[in-house]
Amino acid sequence: MNQILEVFNMGLLQNTLRSATPVVLAAMGGLLTEHAGIMNIGMDGMILMGAFVAVAVSFTLSSAALGVVAAVAMGILVGLFFALFVVKLKSDEFIIGMALNTFAGALTVYLLRSIFGVKGTFSDKGIVGLPKIHLDFLDHIPFLGPLLNDNSMFVYVTWVLVFLTWLFLYRTPYGFWMRAAGEHPQSLETAGISPVRMKFLASVLCGIFCGFAGAHLSLGYLTMFTEGMSGDRGFIAFACVLFGMANPPKVFLAALLFGFLQALGLRLQSVGVPADLTSIIPYASTVLMMVYVVVSGNKKKKKG
Amino acid sequence: MKGILKKIADNRNYLVSLALSILAAFLIGALLMMVTGYNPAAGYSAMLKGAFGSSRVFGNTLAKMLTLCLTGLATAVGARAGLFNVGGEGQLYLGGMAATVVGIWLCGLSPVIVVPLAFAAAIIAGGFYAWVPAVLKVKLNVSEVITTIMLNSVAIYFCTWLCNGPLKSADKGISGATDAVPDNFVFGQVIARSNLSTAIFYSAVIAFLCWYIMEKTSIGLEMKVTGKNPRFAFFSGLKKDKIMIWAMVASGAICGLVGMFEVYGYQHRFLPTISNEFFFDGMLVAMIMNYSPLGIILMSFFFAVIDIGAGAMELSTGISHELSDIIFAIIIFLMAAEGGISRAFSARQLQKKARKKISMDAEKEVQKG
Amino acid sequence: MRCAFFILRNEMREQKVQDTIIKFDHISMQFPGVLANDDVSLDIRKGEVFALVGENGAGKSTLMNILYGIHTPTSGEIYIKDRKLTRHEPGESIAAGIGMVHQHFMLVPSFTVAQNIVLSREPRKMGFFYDLKQAEKEAENLVAEYGLKVDPKATVGEISVGLQQRVEILKTLYRGAEILILDEPTAVLTPQETEELFAVIRRIVKEKNMTVIIITHKLYEVMAISDRVGVMRQGKLIGVEETKNVNERILASMMVGREVLLDQLEKTGTPGQVLIDVRDVHADDNRGLPAVNGVSLRVRAGEILGIAAIEGNGQSELLEVITGMRPLRSGEIHIAGQNASGKTPGEIRDMGLAHIPEDRIATGVSSQSSVKENLIIGKERRPEFAKKGIHLRQSSIARYASDLFTKYDLRGAGIETGAGSLSGGNMQKVVVAREFSFDTPILVIAQPTRGVDIGAMEFIHKQIIAKRNEGCAILLVSADLDEVLRLSDRVITLYEGRVTGQFEAGKIDKMEIGYYMTGNRKEEA
Repeated sequence: MNQILEVFNMGLLQNTLRSATPVVLAAMGGLLTEHAGIMNIGMDGMILMGAFVAVAVSFTLSSAALGVVAAVAMGILVGLFFALFVVKLKSDEFIIGMALNTFAGALTVYLLRSIFGVKGTFSDKGIVGLPKIHLDFLDHIPFLGPLLNDNSMFVYVTWVLVFLTWLFLYRTPYGFWMRAAGEHPQSLETAGISPVRMKFLASVLCGIFCGFAGAHLSLGYLTMFTEGMSGDRGFIAFACVLFGMANPPKVFLAALLFGFLQALGLRLQSVGVPADLTSIIPYASTVLMMVYVVVSGNKKKKKG
Repeated sequence: MKGILKKIADNRNYLVSLALSILAAFLIGALLMMVTGYNPAAGYSAMLKGAFGSSRVFGNTLAKMLTLCLTGLATAVGARAGLFNVGGEGQLYLGGMAATVVGIWLCGLSPVIVVPLAFAAAIIAGGFYAWVPAVLKVKLNVSEVITTIMLNSVAIYFCTWLCNGPLKSADKGISGATDAVPDNFVFGQVIARSNLSTAIFYSAVIAFLCWYIMEKTSIGLEMKVTGKNPRFAFFSGLKKDKIMIWAMVASGAICGLVGMFEVYGYQHRFLPTISNEFFFDGMLVAMIMNYSPLGIILMSFFFAVIDIGAGAMELSTGISHELSDIIFAIIIFLMAAEGGISRAFSARQLQKKARKKISMDAEKEVQKG
Repeated sequence: MRCAFFILRNEMREQKVQDTIIKFDHISMQFPGVLANDDVSLDIRKGEVFALVGENGAGKSTLMNILYGIHTPTSGEIYIKDRKLTRHEPGESIAAGIGMVHQHFMLVPSFTVAQNIVLSREPRKMGFFYDLKQAEKEAENLVAEYGLKVDPKATVGEISVGLQQRVEILKTLYRGAEILILDEPTAVLTPQETEELFAVIRRIVKEKNMTVIIITHKLYEVMAISDRVGVMRQGKLIGVEETKNVNERILASMMVGREVLLDQLEKTGTPGQVLIDVRDVHADDNRGLPAVNGVSLRVRAGEILGIAAIEGNGQSELLEVITGMRPLRSGEIHIAGQNASGKTPGEIRDMGLAHIPEDRIATGVSSQSSVKENLIIGKERRPEFAKKGIHLRQSSIARYASDLFTKYDLRGAGIETGAGSLSGGNMQKVVVAREFSFDTPILVIAQPTRGVDIGAMEFIHKQIIAKRNEGCAILLVSADLDEVLRLSDRVITLYEGRVTGQFEAGKIDKMEIGYYMTGNRKEEA
């Protein structure tokens, strides 16, 4: 009983926020491409590129801010690259997505080796991490105070971005165009707006979001780059997009659920459950989540 | 022979763009080496030497080819029936683990009994681990891409846990691995001191079966039609669900056998590092060759050369072996782009031709008038 | 006298030049393998209803798509109100006052009516945000101004096809269209809805001085609505006439280049035993909503039962349930005396049924497979094509496919070409060839000639009648009422998934059938 209580403590919730943040960011990008009618399974590679560039620039220029800027610039580049193939050249989304993941995985390791001369992990005091935000007044609020304080600034930025994504999709003409581009591209085209352009925009925005996710991953708490550090978060984000039916608040909740499960895994380790087993939790639960979405979707169909 | 020549002639355009893509990928690779301060000539020659330099390394190259070829064919078998099995890595782990467990537990029995049982265990474990996402896809329409990728991590962590926990070996100098499979069970070496074992013969049989079934039988035709248009297959009275599920199970079973071959042919015990994303390299081969079985068999040799060569290159020149994956990915990008570019090109050419024809017609009209 | 005639003609020409609102100047359009438009020059006058007729593939839609900026012509120029189109984008044509209602509606199903109307020209708040309230208001204003009744707040995916068409028209009006192009607007409408549409067209031409171009191949509609008519054939504009100077027969012969009289189809034999027996069948559509609500019907050997219904009234779902493509919710289906309820298409085929599906591209063929593979599928395990049912005998398959290729008059590169590269008519012939060559006693046929030219249509009709005369039981669905009436021995009408009437073909006219197709129920005697 005590052990169970030990698992569910404040640290669990704090870790939930931390673990969820990169997934939320990537998922916001993924839901934009989903709305624009692109199956984007290349997000994992996009995140990885962002994480690497963020660390590389933060280390060389000693600035976390420039690291983030570089990650975003990289995201734009990768987003354009992805759209060039998938939208413009009409290549298979699946093949390009998988090739992008392989490419990002290999290139980051290659560059890590040839630029920094290390294998596996690059961590150095010279890498400047992102600032943690501390608001004094929160200290006086029990429970919420410690939960909301001392998080990397990206945690807060992410909440704003979720709202902005929703605002963009459902309250601006551009969001309507993007959704039209995915749902019925000809209707947009005949209304005089190029669906190709909207798909490019979605892909580039997704690249930016994944750049943020990568920067958060490598500069948020740990300030280092590890080979394959995206850890399939791109795919988990994709699953969250499907789970939340591409609706920003719902996707956000799905990602939080994922973050909670990952944090739970970490807590279970501290009470003696082997790490190899707790690491299974987020992946296995993603599979269950996918099944749940489809089954409940089918039920709804029948009822409606 | 005639058939092969005809096939080459039929796919001339494809082969030409493949050759050009490979060439371009190597040039980009060379550029990357130059930018990062290495000598590309030294890099590539180390690569060649690393793949062909001695009978030992050549044996390693052939062993690598088997892995790539089988994982590539596994991808193709699924893709032919319309399912993307991205979970080969997990199936490989479970297949290898199952075969290892059989080998360890039945160590007292005759290899004539145990080795076939190990084969069966690998097939069942790999096949079952592909059956789950296949059923989820076919019956519930849950995207098999995501589920198989997630199941990869589940299997890898699970096997790692087994290696570190319940099945942890007490042997000296071994940490985080299972006990060794008894020597009388493991495959013999074909080339001394290389990784090439008699698994090559089993692999050849599997590869032949894959090619034969996919290209020469009614089952292959039914798979192809199902993969191209499942609704049409269902409409035509084919057992679409069964075809898709069994194709995926076969794909998983092949991957499971690859896992077994790694253990019985090379490592002789199960290690958590039994495969370093071997499946994904095979998948890339399959994608580049458009899931054609014959193409995969041939191309896997080429990829094996680069892959094994890159490992040796890293040791001798310090250039990261990941260069091989970079080159593979670039080949895919170029091949994928090629389709789009040639489409755009031919459309433009047609338009040009038409314009020319029309203006010529108009001239004729004027001359007549 | 001669002189006066010349003066008169010149005067007329001047008048014409003044009135011209659109000028096509030597337009040609080359698609891969097809010259879709061949040197077309045409003037459209302001305030007229111009009908453009021609067979499928004659180039009408291509010409209009060029006008609308979807295609860039290979050569030639277009002038709208004397301004040359340069960019060839829909945006440019819309700005010039062109509005187009496509055959397949260009509407986003999940958006509301208002959101679809204002798409791409949304009213905004603070420059960046979408003023959703204002959009609804503007839609309401348009509805009131033109009398095209539709609820701006309704979701487009949930309203009827007729209403969706109104949304399309409102969409163009919102964009300030002065010239309205309607591409096959009546294909999805009942005779009654068609009348309403024509009333709308007359009103906007008269009251708002709009110009309307209507693409159609229904000649009686040309006579009913247009001022002038242009006929296209094989990409060329064959002629332009004042409608009052022509009749349907003249137009028909211009369309096909010869005097056409569809051959009388000779029906022989008497109906035999019941082979399709459907009892109180219920089924849902793709969204899970009830689509077939208690249909019972019987088809006997040697007869064709035609189903007449407006698209979306359960006829597609009914056929899919009978052939096993769609789950059966309740009721019973017997095929050749065997219980086929809830069986798979494969099992039902084994009972002796072949099926031509309504959507040949999605269901009827595998477009990425070769013609040969498309022809052989379903027979690939027969001993003559596969040793022990497994090892394929490539040469006998090739021979069989070539024979069918010749017998069904397929025109295309050959049996190794991808089915997807065939024209609509040839692709349909592949489906017909495969299904008819199963030699089954029962045929279920949907939309046998949709998007098929007259020649291929004649061919397919004759094949169907031949099957009937051989003693097949045939269940037929077609959106083309003429086709249903021409082929069927008996006709039933469906409305909202229920049978509303049963008739002997030949004892009923189209208007009357239309009456039952819109939900009026025939009193059973």
